[in-house]
Amino acid sequence: MVARRRKCAARDPEDRIPSPLGYAAIPIKFSEKQQASHYLYVRAHGVRQGTKSTWPQKRTLFVLNVPPYCTESLSRLLSTCGLVQSVELQEKPDLAESPKESRSKFFHPKPVPGFQVAYVVFQKPSGVSAALALKGPLLVSTESHPVKSGIHKWISDYADSVPDPEALRVEVDTFMEAYDQKIAEEEAKAKEEEGVPDEEGWVKVTRRGRRPVLPRTEAASLRVLERERRKRSRKELLNFYAWQHRESKMEHLAQLRKKFEEDKQRIELLRAQRKFRPY
Amino acid sequence: MGPAPAGEQLRGATGEPEVMEPALEGTGKEGKKASSRKRTLAEPPAKGLLQPVKLSRAELYKEPTNEELNRLRETEILFHSSLLRLQVEELLKEVRLSEKKKDRIDAFLREVNQRVVRVPSVPETEEILQDKDGLNQRYFRKRALYLAHLAHHLAQDPLFGSVCFSYTNGCHLKPSLLLRPRGKDERLVTVRLHPCPPPDFFRPCRLLPTKNNVRSAWYRGQSPAGDGSPEPPTPRYNTWVLQDTVLESHLQLLSTILSSAQGLKDGVALLKVWLRQRELDKGQGGFTGFLVSMLVVFLVSTRKIHTTMSGYQVLRSVLQFLATTDLTVNGISLCLSSDPSLPALADFHQAFSVVFLDSSGHLNLCADVTASTYHQGWSLLWLQVQHEARLSMMLLDSRADDGFHLLLMTPKPMIRAFDHVLHLRPLSRLQAACHRLKLWPELQDNGGDYVSAALGPLTTLLEQGLGARLNLLAHSRPPVPEWDISQDPPKHKDSGTLTLGLLLRPEGLTSVLELGPEADQPEAAKFRQFWGSRSELRRFQDGAIREAVVWEAASMSQKRLIPHQVVTHLLALHADIPETCVHYVGGPLDALIQGLKETSSTGEEALVAAVRCYDDLSRLLWGLEGLPLTVSAVQGAHPVLRYTEVFPPTPVRPAFSFYETLRERSSLLPRLDKPCPAYVEPMTVVCHLEGSGQWPQDAEAVQRVRAAFQLRLAELLTQQHGLQCRATATHTDVLKDGFVFRIRVAYQREPQILKEVQSPEGMISLRDTAASLRLERDTRQLPLLTSALHGLQQQHPAFSGVARLAKRWVRAQLLGEGFADESLDLVAAALFLHPEPFTPPSSPQVGFLRFLFLVSTFDWKNNPLFVNLNNELTVEEQVEIRSGFLAARAQLPVMVIVTPQDRKNSVWTQDGPSAQILQQLVVLAAEALPMLEKQLMDPRGPGDIRTVFRPPLDIYDVLIRLSPRHIPRHRQAVDSPAASFCRGLLSQPGPSSLMLVLGYDPPQLYLTQLREAFGDLALFFYDQHGGEVIGVLWKPTSFQPQPFKASSTKGRMVMSRGGELVMVPNVEAILEDFAVLGEGLVQTVEARSERWTV
Repeated sequence: MVARRRKCAARDPEDRIPSPLGYAAIPIKFSEKQQASHYLYVRAHGVRQGTKSTWPQKRTLFVLNVPPYCTESLSRLLSTCGLVQSVELQEKPDLAESPKESRSKFFHPKPVPGFQVAYVVFQKPSGVSAALALKGPLLVSTESHPVKSGIHKWISDYADSVPDPEALRVEVDTFMEAYDQKIAEEEAKAKEEEGVPDEEGWVKVTRRGRRPVLPRTEAASLRVLERERRKRSRKELLNFYAWQHRESKMEHLAQLRKKFEEDKQRIELLRAQRKFRPY
Repeated sequence: MGPAPAGEQLRGATGEPEVMEPALEGTGKEGKKASSRKRTLAEPPAKGLLQPVKLSRAELYKEPTNEELNRLRETEILFHSSLLRLQVEELLKEVRLSEKKKDRIDAFLREVNQRVVRVPSVPETEEILQDKDGLNQRYFRKRALYLAHLAHHLAQDPLFGSVCFSYTNGCHLKPSLLLRPRGKDERLVTVRLHPCPPPDFFRPCRLLPTKNNVRSAWYRGQSPAGDGSPEPPTPRYNTWVLQDTVLESHLQLLSTILSSAQGLKDGVALLKVWLRQRELDKGQGGFTGFLVSMLVVFLVSTRKIHTTMSGYQVLRSVLQFLATTDLTVNGISLCLSSDPSLPALADFHQAFSVVFLDSSGHLNLCADVTASTYHQGWSLLWLQVQHEARLSMMLLDSRADDGFHLLLMTPKPMIRAFDHVLHLRPLSRLQAACHRLKLWPELQDNGGDYVSAALGPLTTLLEQGLGARLNLLAHSRPPVPEWDISQDPPKHKDSGTLTLGLLLRPEGLTSVLELGPEADQPEAAKFRQFWGSRSELRRFQDGAIREAVVWEAASMSQKRLIPHQVVTHLLALHADIPETCVHYVGGPLDALIQGLKETSSTGEEALVAAVRCYDDLSRLLWGLEGLPLTVSAVQGAHPVLRYTEVFPPTPVRPAFSFYETLRERSSLLPRLDKPCPAYVEPMTVVCHLEGSGQWPQDAEAVQRVRAAFQLRLAELLTQQHGLQCRATATHTDVLKDGFVFRIRVAYQREPQILKEVQSPEGMISLRDTAASLRLERDTRQLPLLTSALHGLQQQHPAFSGVARLAKRWVRAQLLGEGFADESLDLVAAALFLHPEPFTPPSSPQVGFLRFLFLVSTFDWKNNPLFVNLNNELTVEEQVEIRSGFLAARAQLPVMVIVTPQDRKNSVWTQDGPSAQILQQLVVLAAEALPMLEKQLMDPRGPGDIRTVFRPPLDIYDVLIRLSPRHIPRHRQAVDSPAASFCRGLLSQPGPSSLMLVLGYDPPQLYLTQLREAFGDLALFFYDQHGGEVIGVLWKPTSFQPQPFKASSTKGRMVMSRGGELVMVPNVEAILEDFAVLGEGLVQTVEARSERWTV
């Protein structure tokens, strides 16, 4: 099957590579050494009327099936089509830009990439059309721009992962300072609002003391309910009236019946598996 | 000796369930073949699944009928529970002979009877037997001649499909004739012909156990010692003669008593199953079904068993009797008469160790149970029966839910029941042993059967020598095969191998010393004589000078094998059996978990050293000054710290020239031009800090505070104790004495903070999230489990070996990554906490076999595996958990393990295995178990023990071969390479100023990348312990052409098929990606293209 497909591809290389409707296919290989190539499926980014997207229309190229070794070099590969403003790689297609806040490399280590999708924003719309016309095959790793893989990559990854304690300390300190400030502000705000009625006239009262009040948590309320239930059941009389007696007997019988049914089912199963042949 | 009694005996012999065996075997094998020989990875999990019972209210609460009430009451009284009753009924249905078969057997019996009567020229009894035929085997020889005559005539009859000889209960003086019908019934029935003398032909008083009936002059051609000393008694010989005379009356007795009540018959059938599963009735001189039937008769006569009892109650009563009564001290008798002429029980006790007299008062039914010896009162078999009965009673009393299965359905073959096994071969050596041990009277008594004669003294010798190391010794002799009537009977030396099983006592195993008496005591000479040259005088610390034997054993694994030294030494010294004839099977599997350098240890010592180092570290942590919060707990959370790491770490010291150095962070880095450095895995230690109002109540902030603590810890440990440390945001790595620990700071309330969800009304509720569950698992449950298993190791020293061997095997089968480390540890722990029907294993070998048995037979679909650590779960709780399990089965993982700390969720199997992987493991275990057992039971030596550890590679679609240069754990491979690469370590451990390369394992990094990129197209299998090959299995479902979807284009390509555009995996490019991603590591990518179709 596979062999046949190779033949097809070899016979008419000039033929257009099959691609889904609206997409163009660009072959991409790791380096010249490889025979077969993956295909990037690209399309000008566009959304239906009324849907919001943070990506600039017309200037954004939507790329599917970006191979795992092509994370950093994508912008270089596409720069032949025009100046690239930004490249955003994601696991799944997502209309909104992911929160751009600087994710700390200490607390959110980079995940191992698989096949990804990319949003490539060109500086000019012409970049998109040029990219759509690319014939390829693109080469990820070339002599002038080698891309590390295998042992090379793992060793350099390991070296990168050796932490710098000073940088970490600085980052923690900055974060905690900001955090303390935020907490202080919140407290100050709460103090300010104390005793001041809101627009409907309600006054928020908070008790601040050594003895904490019952916290408003689900667990706490469940605990209260349970305590109540236990108190009630202590007062109840069991097997006092004749009907209670009758009922508890009946309950016992029902339990036995249920167990019996369960047992029968289990036996049936074991019999089906021939589990009763001793040897 | 006319033909008339033959008919009677035939009826008796076939009325009992013994004849059912061939019929069962015939169909049983086919069933097994059909069910187990499947190598399909996928099986729908819903089939054969128990569903929670749903009964309508009306059904549950309808008025009971009288019948129903009666049945319920009966169940309660006669059986344990309704389940047990149903199970017993099913089992009896399986073993009971059907009416149709019974008729066919009866018809055949009538035919046989007619033929036997018609055999021409049968002389009358009086003509054959003469006075004094009881002497000097004359009776037995005439009996054999008579049988040969019968055989000669019957063999010409077309009625019989086969006519051959065999020995009655293995007694070589008493052949019997086996007749099988021709045609389709050949496997249904076997008729044994026992010729018997007329009932009153021999005078019983001449056959008392104290009498001699084999004269020395006749037997040895000389008179005993020549000085007129009395002839030695021949109790066994006498018994054999007596057995023939009372055979008929025994059968009549059995049929009158047992046919009186169905419960008794059922009970006997159950007891026979019980014996058979334990192999107690096997081979020569077994505890036969006949014996146990007579025991039932005895208990009926003493009113311990009632005719109204159910089969289950009969079983229970007999087991109770066996467990509590010692027939070696107080024999029992069926004989009711108080005739003073009858011999006394004491006479029998002198001749036999186990005494159970028949109704005549002359015959000891248990004579064969005693290993032939009249001066050493010892019966291994009796000890074994008692041991088994006690275990079974404990099982019944524990009210375990699956007691029935453990009691009656679980086979206990010797290799799986005993810690060590030894084979004596060839048996002809025992002849010399008999002479060496001066066993002439025994030989005379046994008619020259030197194996039986030597068995008793030899086992006594071993028992005495093994002393405190031994719990139980058992022997097994293969049954003498049948032989054709035209052939010579098998000789004693042909009867295969004598196999002994040793059940070891773990407490006794640790000592290397046999302490003898003080040198000036009179017993010292005896001690010296017993141990021979191994005994030497030693001065002890208390000043005493004693005889002592010291065995060389440095490591735990060598200590476990001291019994081997003891056995070979004693056998050579006292019985002239050279070492080459003793094939001891105790440690062949040890090789698989042996460390790299020290081949004499299976790693227990290295683990202890690592744990000791951890203890030191935790003391340092406790005593650390200058931490803003105090340490509230330090807990281990790594397999090393629960003794289950397959290859324990050794202290390391790096050779700097081998590495790149990163001076400013005082770390070493791997170098491109060198082979991959040694793999060092840090051992995780969780360090809990006290709760305080100072902790922030925000998840992100808690993370930062923890990071600050990690930094501080590193600083303080370096300052105060000079340890090499490296802190990251989540952990601090510490290098101590060549071991690397990874300290994780934990804050007790953090999981709760991660769980908090605020509802719109401001109510805070707790909801499990992935992050909170992971954190809880890593910082709370894992340390608990680690300490519980650490405790288990202290109780059962073999636990470490078993767990590691089990993990080694699973990983060698390339399935290791499907199972969490902890889940396999728990399965191994279950073997120790719930060993029934065995005792907890004391050697890795037997534990590993039971692991394979458990894995291959456990019904994971319908049962949770209970691992009742510290016995915390009560019976009621277990019942409750079980019903909860059934109700929630669909949501639970395929493999559910319940521990007291984890009653509902089965934390350790949440992420795997998948149903397919588990199924594959079950199939592999089912194949490995019989293969390995056969190897170990092979008296010529186990051969290549690694066979069952080599994975099948033909099932994979693609094989990726890796270069050993970059496999850091290459030497741990199942077939350990003769030479591997230098890994940058110095042989002498010492301090290092630079942090080692930690957790750098190229194959693992490669696998992570592969799984991330191609995880939805293929499965990847690899043995982390030095595997050289990665097996790839395409997922069949992802190879179905799919319509284009923007979200699932990963690694696929569009192609037109029949005018339609579909997506298929881009296999060629993917295969090249395999090589690209693993550049330098991958040697070849072997695609077996014929195995997939797109």
